[in-house]
Amino acid sequence: MTRYVIKRIFSMIVTLLIIGTLTFSIMHSIPGSPFTSERSLPPEIEQALMEKYGLDDPLWEQYLNYLGDLVQGDLGVSMQKLGVSVNDMISEGLPVSAQIGSVAVIVILALGIPIGVISALKQNSLIDHIVMFIATVGIAVPSFVVGTFMMYVFGEILGWIPAGGFDGWRSFIGPVIALAGFSLAYVTRLMRSSMLEVLRQDYIRTAKANGLSQLKVIGKHALKNALIPVVTYVGPMIASILTGSFVIEKIFALPGIGKYFTESVTNRDYTVIMSITLFYAAIYIFSVLLVDIAYAFIDPRIKLDD
Amino acid sequence: MNQWTPISSEETQGNQPTRKSLTYWQDVWRRLRQNVMAMTGLVMILIISGLAIFGPMFSPYSYSEQNLQLANIAPQIEITKITDKDYVFVHNEYRLVSVTADGKFIGAPEVVDENKINRYITYNIDGKEVKFDYSLAMSNRKKGQKVTEEEENADMKTKYDIFVDGEKIDKYDTKIVLNKTNIMGTDTLGRDVWTRVLYGARISLTVGLVASVVNLCVGVVYGGIAGYEGGKVDNIMMRIVDIISSVPLLLIVILLMVIIEPGLKTIIITIGMVYWVGMARLVRGQVLSLKEQEFVLAARALGVTKSKIIIKHLIPNAIGPIVVSMMMSIPSAIFTEAFLSFIGLGVSAPEASWGTLANDALGGIRSYPYQLIIPSIAIALTMFAFNFLGDGLRDALDPRLRK
Repeated sequence: MTRYVIKRIFSMIVTLLIIGTLTFSIMHSIPGSPFTSERSLPPEIEQALMEKYGLDDPLWEQYLNYLGDLVQGDLGVSMQKLGVSVNDMISEGLPVSAQIGSVAVIVILALGIPIGVISALKQNSLIDHIVMFIATVGIAVPSFVVGTFMMYVFGEILGWIPAGGFDGWRSFIGPVIALAGFSLAYVTRLMRSSMLEVLRQDYIRTAKANGLSQLKVIGKHALKNALIPVVTYVGPMIASILTGSFVIEKIFALPGIGKYFTESVTNRDYTVIMSITLFYAAIYIFSVLLVDIAYAFIDPRIKLDD
Repeated sequence: MNQWTPISSEETQGNQPTRKSLTYWQDVWRRLRQNVMAMTGLVMILIISGLAIFGPMFSPYSYSEQNLQLANIAPQIEITKITDKDYVFVHNEYRLVSVTADGKFIGAPEVVDENKINRYITYNIDGKEVKFDYSLAMSNRKKGQKVTEEEENADMKTKYDIFVDGEKIDKYDTKIVLNKTNIMGTDTLGRDVWTRVLYGARISLTVGLVASVVNLCVGVVYGGIAGYEGGKVDNIMMRIVDIISSVPLLLIVILLMVIIEPGLKTIIITIGMVYWVGMARLVRGQVLSLKEQEFVLAARALGVTKSKIIIKHLIPNAIGPIVVSMMMSIPSAIFTEAFLSFIGLGVSAPEASWGTLANDALGGIRSYPYQLIIPSIAIALTMFAFNFLGDGLRDALDPRLRK
């Protein structure tokens, strides 16, 4: 187990390095620099700026410098916003994205799994049909539409939620619903179908024949097995929700991390692009690792040795 | 002595199949047909595709045709009667547009006099002098005073008066009719929303089609090779997949957008680069378990080449999950396109996609919610259709459910 985790963390670092290298080379192959703007700068000033940020060094040297700083936990300084470091941006934006994201994840798991199980247990009943209908609607309606309608109906007409910004628990309602909608519907459907699959298995029949209570059959024998596909989906989902959705942040005017990323790419803010990409990728890969470890706990047949 | 006697012909007939034997696909089709939801989805997809292909040909407008006189007019309009046969529509930019009694726009009437300081416009409609006085909007307020929320939300009717030949007419004598000129209304530049939604369908469906083709061509082959080869090759190939899936989609799009010009092409290339990843994982998983089976060993023993084993023996056996996953990749590609267009990285104006239509409508959502609702419904309906069909196919292709 420990060996496996160490091995995976090592391959995670290699993957991150490759992603970083790719991003770095793509980024620098694009024409233009952070200091390209409509108002062209005098060549001397541009030269000075290039020197200050080390952009006049050969590419490989810039790359190594960046990596060196990265290892020491320094993500660099923004080339567009004077004196703002990427560490500042992340420590400012991430709490907002992560708070809303974690509430959304809790909502998804706390509602999606039980509703999916109930719907599977009562297959083809009225409850099942209603749940499946709502879940299909949830998958079919894009999050930006949900977000805008939340904003319009609850914000503008009813005035229940603030029109934007991040202030108090009310400002959670809109973004959380918009963010959770799709995944909640997806988890419910996934849970239902995998539960139906498991309930058909022989060991469930055996458990029932042995006289175990319904609760024990479902909770102990069925649920654990049915959770595997859900866990597979939930890992990457958590990563993308925690780091924030650009669209939701845009609609609700939230000061999250997504904003910085979109800005940085259009501004050609090299350090910010690099760092936020790596940050995203790290969270993503880490959550995939967590999923793999979670497998071993849910299903003892899965061994993490190789 | 011969102890064997031939059995009667009745008994031999009992062994013959009672039902016509069906091929796999005939059986799938038979089961799919019984699924009402899936068939609804299929019919909806056919209708949407038909509208996307042929709809714009029959539309009297083009997607980029602007008519500023008729900007921001809803599918349902309230028209005011000024004489027995003349009706006008009061535009909420404080001007009049002539309209027929059943809701067809004639156009802007001839302006005789326009006074922006005293806030009235005089029109000549059928020889009658019609004075549209909107000074009430300002009169109750002292100079420089801000617009209060109450005033903002007040009915527009309290803010104007209409005089015909100097006589004030009853401004509440209105009726609500359907907009016959632009059945789904117009956007901020007076472009026909329905035509633009039809054009958007073209773009969305193209994107979906590309995603499914890429899935099939790249994903299936890639996953097949990785799964069949196993070992080091598999390891390296799957690490590449991991890397691709952990680079944010947005980054790829924006980077591409700078190299190529923004537009449909960029979105298609991005989706082409990214969308086969899920399929590759799925096919690899299927192939990993299939390749241990005897028929593959038999094929290998007979000297069938690797590529033939993958294409002819392994992939057909995994066709069920492949078709379902392909079906499901279409709505998610359409989704992605709408998402990218929504954040302003998609097709550029005047081209329309459902995402850009929704994005353009965001600013005016309070006054013109229909501009957002119509493309949203289009997206949702298409998603429904593909999801229903995908679910139905999943059930129909599952041999365990075969009766």
